[in-house]
Amino acid sequence: MAAILAQDLCKTYTGGFRSSRETVALNKLTLDVQEGEIFGFLGPNGAGKTTTIHLLLNFARPTGGSASLFGRPVTETAVHGRLGYMPESVNLHDYYRGRKLLNFYAGLVGIPRESCSAQVTELLNLVKLEDAADKSVAKYSKGMAQRLGLAQAMLGDPDLLILDEPTASLDPVGRKEFRDILVELKRRGKTIFISSHILSEVESVCDRVVILQKGELKRMGTLQELSAGKVTLFRVRSLPAPVIEALAAIGAELTLAHDAATIRCKDEPLQGAVSETLRQHGVEIVEMEVEKQSLEEIFLSAIDEPAAS
Amino acid sequence: MRTTFLIAADSIRSLLHRRLLLGLMLASLALTVAFSTMFSTARMNMDEGFIDRYGSDSKGGGAGKLSASDKREMREQMEMASSYFQTFFYVVASFGGSLVALFIFSTAVTSEIRKGTIRLTLSKPVSRTQFLLGKYLGGVVVMAGYALLASAAMLAFAYSEEFELSPAMQFAPWLMFCRQLMLGSVAMLLSLFCPPIVAAVIAFFAGNGFYSRYNPLFYILPSYGDFDLWSEVLTGNLLRASDVGYLTLYAADFVAIMLLLATWRFRTKELT
Repeated sequence: MAAILAQDLCKTYTGGFRSSRETVALNKLTLDVQEGEIFGFLGPNGAGKTTTIHLLLNFARPTGGSASLFGRPVTETAVHGRLGYMPESVNLHDYYRGRKLLNFYAGLVGIPRESCSAQVTELLNLVKLEDAADKSVAKYSKGMAQRLGLAQAMLGDPDLLILDEPTASLDPVGRKEFRDILVELKRRGKTIFISSHILSEVESVCDRVVILQKGELKRMGTLQELSAGKVTLFRVRSLPAPVIEALAAIGAELTLAHDAATIRCKDEPLQGAVSETLRQHGVEIVEMEVEKQSLEEIFLSAIDEPAAS
Repeated sequence: MRTTFLIAADSIRSLLHRRLLLGLMLASLALTVAFSTMFSTARMNMDEGFIDRYGSDSKGGGAGKLSASDKREMREQMEMASSYFQTFFYVVASFGGSLVALFIFSTAVTSEIRKGTIRLTLSKPVSRTQFLLGKYLGGVVVMAGYALLASAAMLAFAYSEEFELSPAMQFAPWLMFCRQLMLGSVAMLLSLFCPPIVAAVIAFFAGNGFYSRYNPLFYILPSYGDFDLWSEVLTGNLLRASDVGYLTLYAADFVAIMLLLATWRFRTKELT
């Protein structure tokens, strides 16, 4: 069963009482997140990532389409018992001390009093806040608030974690610790939906990613699927002059070295033509490689694509 | 139910950490103290006036030598003065309480939306109805505390000044409390449609004694006027328990309707 399922999800904001101006925040987003996977949700600012999360958590109402969590409509309160959420800017009740705040949220999650204290202490240790547990939340730094935000999201051992820019205020050590926590959670079979700007972070932990741009889905798939580019490289030992001329004529890019040459093909028809030319001239192909793209390249090329009409 | 109580407890904690609210409560108490002092001074002046007026005429006998009619007149005037000052006390305590109630209830939900803290709470298995009721309940507890404080102040005031409480004053804190809960429910509902300050102002003026119970609107719109006991306190009238019961039922019914409407509105409100 899909932990998250969105079908043709739309959200349009109207300009206000007297304004007829409409802003499309999300346009027919369809995605599914399977149980046990870490799912990266990428996109530049204003792409509709937080809007999607708000729709999934029933903070906002869709103007079209539907969404469900573990097969139940997002409007059902009970399904929230299976998820933990950490917002982009973690605004906490600053009149509590760290431990007391977690106790309050633990009560809302329905953790029995007898096991509450042990679980809260365990989570405070996990996010390295044990020393600041009895300090007022008002005195927490941004990074500390973010750690406490992560701890509250993990209360009750939820099956699904929805994390909106979870490492935005963390230092490099904090980010590394956060990645370790994610890996451990994945090992325990948890589903994690993570929205982030930090591509390297997503690349290192996510099973699948979605790239969103101006409310529209641009790419979705595993990193392997998305990084398999269209560029093919042929490596040969040497190229006689007639072959060089023939390859240049069909538009192949050549890189010549002392005893080797590389032929770069931008698309499949060119790849076919190059392959045929080399065969006709009896040139042996030493190696053929499909050039891989980094997540950053995929991301940049996706957001550069023109929007579908 | 546990969830609603947890939200209510959190709401009380939050309210007790709000400086503006504490300031309002302190200002209200300060005004009450000021009136108490005024009363004390005025009463002393009145006593001296009687001694000057009657004491000098009775050849060194003072007030103890007054005739029966003088004594009756003096008692009546003292009772009237006592009624006036009890009325002032009631008006000040009620007005201060109304401001506190408007502040608490008009910002209860909206401040959480503004700060974004509501999103963490509602990401837990907490329904919007539970959240709203919890917030209202937290406000009710704080207002009950205020009513108790006002009652204690009034009793201490009456004891220190040695005057008898007007019979109407027995019910005054309760009816003042009911009035404030009605005001609060209207403010909370309106705050889901407009900014809190606007909601508070409209809630304060809406239905302030404009409707009689023979008017059908009385059962739909707030009618705070019936909860203002100043005329009863002033005249020393004894309220019937049935009237108080009727007004309590009206307030409960009214608050229930307002909360139902607020729940309906809040369930569809966007929290972004």
